[in-house]
Amino acid sequence: MEEKILLELSHISKRYRTELALKDITMALHEGEILGFLGPSGAGKTTTIKIITGQLKPTGGEAKLLGTDAENMDASIYEKIGVVSDNSGIYEKMTVWQNLSVFAQIWNVKKERIEEVLKQVELWEHRKKLAGKLSKGQAQRLILARSVLHKPRVLFLDEPTSGLDPSTAVAIHKMLLDLKKEGMAIFLTTHNMEEATKLCDKVALLYQGTIVEFGSPQELCLKYNRDKRYQVLLNNHKEVILEQNPENVNKISDWMKKNEIQCIHSCEPTLETVFLQVTGKTLNA
Amino acid sequence: MNNINKFAAVARIKWIGISRNTMIMLGPIMTLGIVWVCKILYGINTKGELSPGLVSMLLTIGISTNICSDGFIMVGTLIAEEKEKHTLHTLMTSSITGMQYFIGSILFPFFITMIMNLAILWISGASIPLKAMPIFFIVNAIVSIISCVIGMIVGICAKNQMNASLIASPIMMICMMIPMFGNLSEKLHELSGFLFTGVMTEMTSSLATGLDYVLKPLDIAVLLGELIISVLLFLLFYKRNGYEKD
Repeated sequence: MEEKILLELSHISKRYRTELALKDITMALHEGEILGFLGPSGAGKTTTIKIITGQLKPTGGEAKLLGTDAENMDASIYEKIGVVSDNSGIYEKMTVWQNLSVFAQIWNVKKERIEEVLKQVELWEHRKKLAGKLSKGQAQRLILARSVLHKPRVLFLDEPTSGLDPSTAVAIHKMLLDLKKEGMAIFLTTHNMEEATKLCDKVALLYQGTIVEFGSPQELCLKYNRDKRYQVLLNNHKEVILEQNPENVNKISDWMKKNEIQCIHSCEPTLETVFLQVTGKTLNA
Repeated sequence: MNNINKFAAVARIKWIGISRNTMIMLGPIMTLGIVWVCKILYGINTKGELSPGLVSMLLTIGISTNICSDGFIMVGTLIAEEKEKHTLHTLMTSSITGMQYFIGSILFPFFITMIMNLAILWISGASIPLKAMPIFFIVNAIVSIISCVIGMIVGICAKNQMNASLIASPIMMICMMIPMFGNLSEKLHELSGFLFTGVMTEMTSSLATGLDYVLKPLDIAVLLGELIISVLLFLLFYKRNGYEKD
């Protein structure tokens, strides 16, 4: 059975005075899918989220979220979606619990659900603490907890792990994968390629407002695997990189017969190198 | 029901914001303090008995300060704080509408302004005849709404709390100082009649000093006119930028 399309972008463009921020963006997000929107700063990732969530009007094209045209969206759409952006804040003078309970009141969510999400993001022990006293990682987890409190169908995350320590990032990744299992569709923007490879079912590489590549991370990596090279570590600790050709196949076969190979890896490109090959620029540029 | 839940949630956020913000809490407390201290000082030579002129002055100081510090500062600063901490954006992307935010934001400041005006009246030792109470409450309510709406405009225009105080200062100077010094100059007194704060202080001090006070057509025009103008200005700013410019 085909999964439901929850978000559809069709030829979206956005112009700020003379600058064209987005050009002809077309893609779809299905139920239970994580879609990564990858690109360097200023590529148009946040602009896309703002257009989809009705915070910004596109210059051209059509964005449909949960069947509603983005231009005709009203505030009720936010009862079905969650948004985490760099503009998401917490009430520092309220406790962790109060921060969630006001939103539970807004979304008509039961108190049991607050307990459930606080435990999920491992902030249950800190529920009586003032939110202003949380560490950056804890605060980000609280923001994430709030965004999923009402069990949204689509979750928009704008660089959710940016500036966080690796262990917090890992905890957030785990939570996102759990949410995906529950059927939530996640639209994730990031410039962290490792994160995208680990989490996303599909990625769109965005460069100067245009999608330059779209597909699953594996598909893209294989598509750009032009050299087809192998990295071989021999028993004598010598590391060799070989291209795929009959001569090298025989060489590897000989080493294998003599049991001289410690390990062997294919050298397909990472998303980082795919991006570099497509645009000629690195993601951090 | 859901609608009520939403503005109740905003009002709850604002109440926590007010009760845990020392700067905001100090405003009304200081106003009461000023009225109390002035009452003692003015009454030193008269064994606590104040002449009608002094009672009128006391009420003018207290009420005009209260209207400005509660309405403008309380509402404006809280919105500015929400912008500064990015919680306003969070609220607006959580299904709260502009109207729900508006009502939720002014609810507590409105009641605080009203109650504080009564408290000032009580501390000053003046009393209003029972038959004049309805008109006192109506004018008090209209004036409190106007000051809260002006506070919302201040909040929309301000980028942060400092900026909110800066924007509110000239409006406060006009709305607070002109009625306050109206007793000293005929020109200022006349000018004060064109301000909602002036109408309120004039009415309260007249009633409290035993004079009969009937709202003149000009007073009604000033109150309704300034209420309409402030609401229109709010809508104009809100239509242009929402609560925060993107």
